[in-house]
Amino acid sequence: MRILILLFLMLSPVSGHAADAIALDSSVFVEREVPAAGGKTKTVLEEPKVVIPGDRLVFILQYRNTGTQSAKDFVVTNPMPAPVAYQGTSDTVAQVSVDGGKTFAPLASLKVREADGAERAARPEDVTHVRWVLREPIAAGAQGKLSFRGVVR
Amino acid sequence: MLEGNFWAIKNVRLTLIAPLIVATASVSFAPRAQAAGTVAGSTIANTATANYTDSGGNAQTATSNTANLRVDELLDVAVTSADPGDIPTLPSGVNQVASFTVTNTGNGSEAYGLAVTTALGGDQFDPTATSIVLDTNGNGVYDAGVDTVYAAGTNDPVLAPDASIRVFVLSTIPGTAVNGDRGQLSLAAASRTLTGAPGASANGQGQGGGDAVVGTSGGDGSANGAYVVQAANISFTKTSSVVDPFGGSKIVPGSIVTYTLTATVGGSGSLTNVAIADNVPANTTYVAGTMTLQGASVTDTADADAGVFVPPAGVVPGRIEAALGAVAAGQTRTVTFNVRIN
Repeated sequence: MRILILLFLMLSPVSGHAADAIALDSSVFVEREVPAAGGKTKTVLEEPKVVIPGDRLVFILQYRNTGTQSAKDFVVTNPMPAPVAYQGTSDTVAQVSVDGGKTFAPLASLKVREADGAERAARPEDVTHVRWVLREPIAAGAQGKLSFRGVVR
Repeated sequence: MLEGNFWAIKNVRLTLIAPLIVATASVSFAPRAQAAGTVAGSTIANTATANYTDSGGNAQTATSNTANLRVDELLDVAVTSADPGDIPTLPSGVNQVASFTVTNTGNGSEAYGLAVTTALGGDQFDPTATSIVLDTNGNGVYDAGVDTVYAAGTNDPVLAPDASIRVFVLSTIPGTAVNGDRGQLSLAAASRTLTGAPGASANGQGQGGGDAVVGTSGGDGSANGAYVVQAANISFTKTSSVVDPFGGSKIVPGSIVTYTLTATVGGSGSLTNVAIADNVPANTTYVAGTMTLQGASVTDTADADAGVFVPPAGVVPGRIEAALGAVAAGQTRTVTFNVRIN
């Protein structure tokens, strides 16, 4: 038990690096169609209980500056989990990579070279990384949310 | 509820944001590429990294927690007939083989129960299914005594995602079936874990410890095959014409008799290994080189063409033979040969 407490102290935020003032939280939800009034369906986000191929996922990253100083040149990078195909984002500052994170650009401007050497426009499922580049510094105490969608391959 | 670009999160509790230690983590899971999708039990692990510059001008990195999702097992199966069309058969035929392919279209390893139905509408007879046989040696062809007879619940085939197995149904055809009658049968495969309405699930029953979820197939599937009675028959006729040495048609020594043998295949389907043989009549001699098949000359020797003359031996005056091979219903084969009256 004493060892556990010691471990907890070592891992607890109190003993974390003072410079690490940005907290980043990753969470994932499943998008489901559920019946709504008037015979319509509505889309809701649920905590994932059962996930099968073809399910649509929403990945949400929440960041917060927990320090006392602002953080600038703020860039968040999210490698795509291999079993998930990228399905887009509504974040206008987001860029994607189709080459394992070497280069980033809007998806529409990216190209993929096929095994036979032919080049084609990149498709969402080619995306390997999603990146957000925030121009404004994150002030102390400020927070925000980033998201993208995917589908289980 | 989703409206425009605004996410509203319902029925969820967002994890409290807690300061995190700096750690490195990466996605290390690489699933196999599957038509059926990510393999059940796989983990979807998502980690993000933030890079920024602190007030002192130092580059800093913060890594998020890893959000993990386990992929549950989707129960789906597809059954198709592996026969190119109706299976030709005969009345009272036994061990008539109908072939099917059962494919696991789900994303987890699954055992399937198999069952045959023969009481189907829209046909003229019900075959009697005598056994279901698994293509144990995987050659796609029924091998009696080699492939394993299926026993429900004992050797249910277990298929990996995307894997398939050939299944044979052996049937007996009723003796009362007549030419042209069809008899249908259906092979069904059902996931042993669960079948039912798509979306139904069984907690903890999936491969890899997740849930098992019924897919769009309902977790089961079936396909029809059909036997068709193709009873071909054969009839022979033999006619003769005579030319005497004087230009008439008298039967005198030296007259030449031309025999015409006609084989006609009736019914439906085809007959294989059709052969015609006719002894040269006593007191006559075969005229060498006069045998024809379908109007074309064939040689007397045993060679590539269909005809052969077997020379006299003892009291037998010799015999002509023609090997015609497979002849389809409705077709005719005509053989002629000449003999001289001694």
